[in-house]
Amino acid sequence: MKIVRALKSKLLLPVMSVGICIAIWQVLHLIIGGEFLPSPYQVYREAVRMFSVKIGGNTVWMHVYYSLRRVVIAYLLGAATGLPLGMYMGWNRTFDKVVKPVFEVLRPIPPIAWIPIAILWLGIGEGPKIFICYVGAFVIFVLNAYTGMRYTDPLLIAAARTYGASRRQQLFNVAIPASMPSVFAGVQNALSMSWMCVLAAELVGAREGVGYLIIQGMDMYKPPMIMVGMIIIGIIGASLAAILRRFERVVCPWRRDLT
Amino acid sequence: MAQRPDVKIECRNLSKSFLTEQYTINVLDDISLDVRENEFLVVLGPGQCGKTTLLNCMAGIIMPDAGKILLDGREITGPGPDRGVVFQQYALFPWKTVMDNVGFGLQIKGVGKAERTGIAQRYIDLVGLQGFEKSYPHQLSGGMKQRVGIARAWANNPEVLLMDEPFGALDAQTRYAMEKETLSIWETDKRTVVFVTNNVEEAIYLGDRVIVMSCMPGHIKSQYPIDIPKPREYTDPRFLEMRRLISDDTELSL
Repeated sequence: MKIVRALKSKLLLPVMSVGICIAIWQVLHLIIGGEFLPSPYQVYREAVRMFSVKIGGNTVWMHVYYSLRRVVIAYLLGAATGLPLGMYMGWNRTFDKVVKPVFEVLRPIPPIAWIPIAILWLGIGEGPKIFICYVGAFVIFVLNAYTGMRYTDPLLIAAARTYGASRRQQLFNVAIPASMPSVFAGVQNALSMSWMCVLAAELVGAREGVGYLIIQGMDMYKPPMIMVGMIIIGIIGASLAAILRRFERVVCPWRRDLT
Repeated sequence: MAQRPDVKIECRNLSKSFLTEQYTINVLDDISLDVRENEFLVVLGPGQCGKTTLLNCMAGIIMPDAGKILLDGREITGPGPDRGVVFQQYALFPWKTVMDNVGFGLQIKGVGKAERTGIAQRYIDLVGLQGFEKSYPHQLSGGMKQRVGIARAWANNPEVLLMDEPFGALDAQTRYAMEKETLSIWETDKRTVVFVTNNVEEAIYLGDRVIVMSCMPGHIKSQYPIDIPKPREYTDPRFLEMRRLISDDTELSL
């Protein structure tokens, strides 16, 4: 019985939820008409076709690779610069007061609003696309590192002080590990954001990438192609998030039972 | 003023007030107090009477506005490893295992891993947590968490232990067990202890001497040496008499 129940919740429910969605999609297709909303089967056929030919000189896998490469480069740069900056802002009050006003003004600017200036500065190659993704990831890294540091339980710092911990030891032995859960929330959000940004960047003048696939679908007036592109984006985004959750469980083992 | 040799901590005319938006609260008002070497001193008082503030001043976590505290004749200017603190809210590091929490003070001192593990293990055994060395705090019950807190403080080998309502968050049953164990740990490994509580029974069970504090502003109302030999029985007539005496003297309301 237990196995049956586990299978039910692990397999049956997700399969059911996807099945219902496809059914609703089919119904909507019948109501709205094939012109605007292709049927699930048409999309499936299109996916099979797309994976078997080259689009704009590259296979679908190559397009995915191009998008991911931009994201990964931008994401790592964002982590390398955003995390230390956010942590230091959270740790040092003076530094916080100096940097915060500038950051508060830059923060609400959506990454896509940087596209024109990025193209102006960096041309039309990989530069601006990576830059846009970087901006998106960077802001989230900074914010979460900052929040994690600021909300470190003062009692833990007090406890460390009673053991004679120096300011440096308080930072490395208490504040940084204590901020890890918040940092990891940021690690995940930053990747999602970075992934969203790469598509936005690719919609504006790219010759390769998943965003290019969607634009191609639009230019050739092929709704199924657009939808295949969108589904690929969704699946990759979800996979990236799943990989990072795994990673968090390895790095923050004390949170294993909580999530 | 010459210091008596057996005085460990000396508080002289301590005052402390906190500012709120509307008014000033005098938390400590001219408190003078001596704690003797290896004495188990209990500070008893109702909530918000400043007993935790007094303890935090001894710990060096907060500084008094006036007066000073001497440890072995030297003035306390901040927190230090010579005074171990056991917190009511445990204050364990959630990302560290029991072993690493207990070894924290030693790690800060720069003691090598092998030696640290040896010492930590001895105190983990002493508080009865063998088998839980690799557990994380969130996997432990409240009583077990506080055992870790006690082991962590003791393992660092402080001269003075400051215990801030350590069993306040525990259920009655666990509380009795922890009181008993605290005594046996103290008998095994004697230190000067300052123990803050709002529980009269706990105070009489543990204390060599009980200081009764009073509220608004916090001051020392009276003190009672407890001459009943340890371990004490809650039903001992002398215990009950002491309890009646101190209860009558304590504002349990507020």
